[in-house]
Amino acid sequence: MSSPFSINGGACVAMVGKDCVAIACDLRLGLQALTVSNNFPKIFNYGDVYLGLTGLATDVSTVAETMRYKVNMYRLREERQISPQTMANLVSSSLYERRFGPWFVSPVIAGINHTTGKPFICGFDSIGCIDFAKDFIVSGTASDQLFGTCEGLWEPDLGPEDLFETVSQALLNAVDRDALSGWGAHVYIIEKDKVTKRLLKGRQD
Amino acid sequence: MDSLVAQYSRPAFSNEGYQEQEQQELADVAPPLSLKFALPPVAQQAAWLRAMTDDHSNPEVPIKIAHGTTTLAFRFQGGIIVATDSRATAGNWIASQTVKKVIEINSCLLGTMAGGAADCQYWLAYLGMQCRLHELRHKKRISVAAASKILANLVYSYKGMGLSMGTMCAGVTPQEGPALYYIDSDGTRLSGNLFCVGSGQTFAYGVLDAEYSYDLSEEDALELGRRSILAATHRDAFSGGYINLYHVKEDGWVKHGFNDTNPIFWKTKLEKGEFSNVTADLE
Amino acid sequence: MASMYSMPSTTPGYSFPSTHPMTASGPRQHAGFYPYTDNGGSTLGISGKDFTIMAGDTRSTSGYNINTRYEPKLFKIGGDGPKNEGATIVLSVVGFAADGHALKERLDTVAKMYKYQHGKPISVAACAQRLSHILYDKRFFPFYVHAILGGLDENGVGALYSYDPVGSYEREQCRAAGAASSLIMPFLDNQVNFKNQYIPGSGEGHALQQRMPEPLPRHEVEEIVQDAFTSAVERHIEVGDGLQMFVITSNGIEEIYKDLKKD
Repeated sequence: MSSPFSINGGACVAMVGKDCVAIACDLRLGLQALTVSNNFPKIFNYGDVYLGLTGLATDVSTVAETMRYKVNMYRLREERQISPQTMANLVSSSLYERRFGPWFVSPVIAGINHTTGKPFICGFDSIGCIDFAKDFIVSGTASDQLFGTCEGLWEPDLGPEDLFETVSQALLNAVDRDALSGWGAHVYIIEKDKVTKRLLKGRQD
Repeated sequence: MDSLVAQYSRPAFSNEGYQEQEQQELADVAPPLSLKFALPPVAQQAAWLRAMTDDHSNPEVPIKIAHGTTTLAFRFQGGIIVATDSRATAGNWIASQTVKKVIEINSCLLGTMAGGAADCQYWLAYLGMQCRLHELRHKKRISVAAASKILANLVYSYKGMGLSMGTMCAGVTPQEGPALYYIDSDGTRLSGNLFCVGSGQTFAYGVLDAEYSYDLSEEDALELGRRSILAATHRDAFSGGYINLYHVKEDGWVKHGFNDTNPIFWKTKLEKGEFSNVTADLE
Repeated sequence: MASMYSMPSTTPGYSFPSTHPMTASGPRQHAGFYPYTDNGGSTLGISGKDFTIMAGDTRSTSGYNINTRYEPKLFKIGGDGPKNEGATIVLSVVGFAADGHALKERLDTVAKMYKYQHGKPISVAACAQRLSHILYDKRFFPFYVHAILGGLDENGVGALYSYDPVGSYEREQCRAAGAASSLIMPFLDNQVNFKNQYIPGSGEGHALQQRMPEPLPRHEVEEIVQDAFTSAVERHIEVGDGLQMFVITSNGIEEIYKDLKKD
């Protein structure tokens, strides 16, 4: 309860579908039991890549901004968008730089690689170990609950609409069993040529 | 001889209270305490229990006992309103969203539950038993003052053993009118017009204090109880679920539903324009 | 790390005498007396219109070790003979297996004594309340268990009661307990109580109607139970090996055993 990872609360999940990926997060920012904000999205966009960050809110903001700087520098030097895979390695090495005084965040990446056209998701621990998953990645204070709902609801090759329903149900039902997450959610459905962002109406208790 | 004189020279109204003998009986019906419950075979029993169950000082305890609550009760001209949320949490885990935190001690007395769920359930059921015995022995209903004192004395006798409860006793009797008492496991017993108990108490007080008046109509009083709990469930992570509403009147309590907060919240937001902090559109 | 931040609290606190704050983990302060082991595993109960299904995996662990792959967590209560024939109530316990067995023995004895004294089997409601009191009798030296009690009520409707370690209890539609309860319970909220489900086409935006829970047929519940456990096995190391299910109907108790992954 007093770990830096669970002071502010929050949850994030990414899922793979057929030629699409989804990433979703809750909107709560709290100080232990007290809910301070109902509008603290934890997903950040870097061109073709989406990064979800849960954990200590101050580190979530700092890491998100640091990554924005690094991705901008990459784009200026390379004159192209960063790919999800490259982004994963950038996040990993950035986190490992703080091996002995880590950022208290659990990042999640989702995106479609525009060279190969393949969906990509991955997750990290707070010091940069990458978890390449073929199905889904979860993080945050509701991660146990998310493991349960995702494992129960997810199936391979879901289309964009089915994937949206699956990721939404997985997230909403998981955060409803976690005191520190919830209060609404954002969902991104990422396809080759379009990204749909939706706001979910969640329980406000 | 002195006691004989005293017995017959007492003014007539003293019959309304409790005689010395009756008070003695009230104290005697409590069970022999030290023998009833199994105790760990260690010298520092309370410290041991704390190490095993108190998740405030150590989040990694093996046995997590459910906590977290918002409960309120207030007196007004039409009786007493009692309202609670229904969430039980163990750490950050929401163990249940459907806890009945208003305990129906009997048809005229209500108790509320905050702190250890088992402690409240068990001892308020026990209180119900004592109240029934009182009725049978004295051919009249127990006063709320006496009932709350049975509970207060009981928990006081266990002080330091690790009981955890913050409860309110609400009832209406002909002698007292609407009566409300707050009792907690430290042994505190207070009578008052208005109490909120639990992790969400401050949020409930905020709404309740702003709108409370003794002359509230029944409808307004019920709505105030509901709205105060709603505010607490919104801001306090450890409160939520359903709103449990009761109205205690002279001829017993009336239940006013066990309703999901979610539709009530959105109705309050959309129809009355409250909770404007909650986003309803993208960006 | 655990005690870096202290929690400001307005909840009614424990009435422990406040001595020095705890720094080390609990057990170490009482090195001589740590009577509990977590034997892992998970249990689950769902009640229907005329049945109750109780389920539990059969793995028993301590730490990373597997003690055995077949140690049932489900017990019939109040039947005849060593096999508890004719029982109509099932107790599931997860947590510390030894406490679980002790609890089962106490409740079974109570149920049997009731039958001999009253000439009829104990009702689930009465059994549920006795179980609560048995647990609370050890309030100051708790049973390290999460119990679930299942049966049929006086109207033949499925009845399910869940307990915390010291005896607070509540009748519910469904409940998961044990190591993987945090994985299973949100799935059950969604699939049994239809939480976060709305009726398609019932309105636009905020007018959309919530889907109300209705009792599920037995075969659907059995499927949900199996899905819940196969999912839990994938993500929790303490759950696996076998799935034992007791289906309680007016015809008695039917036992179903299915293999789970043994890795």
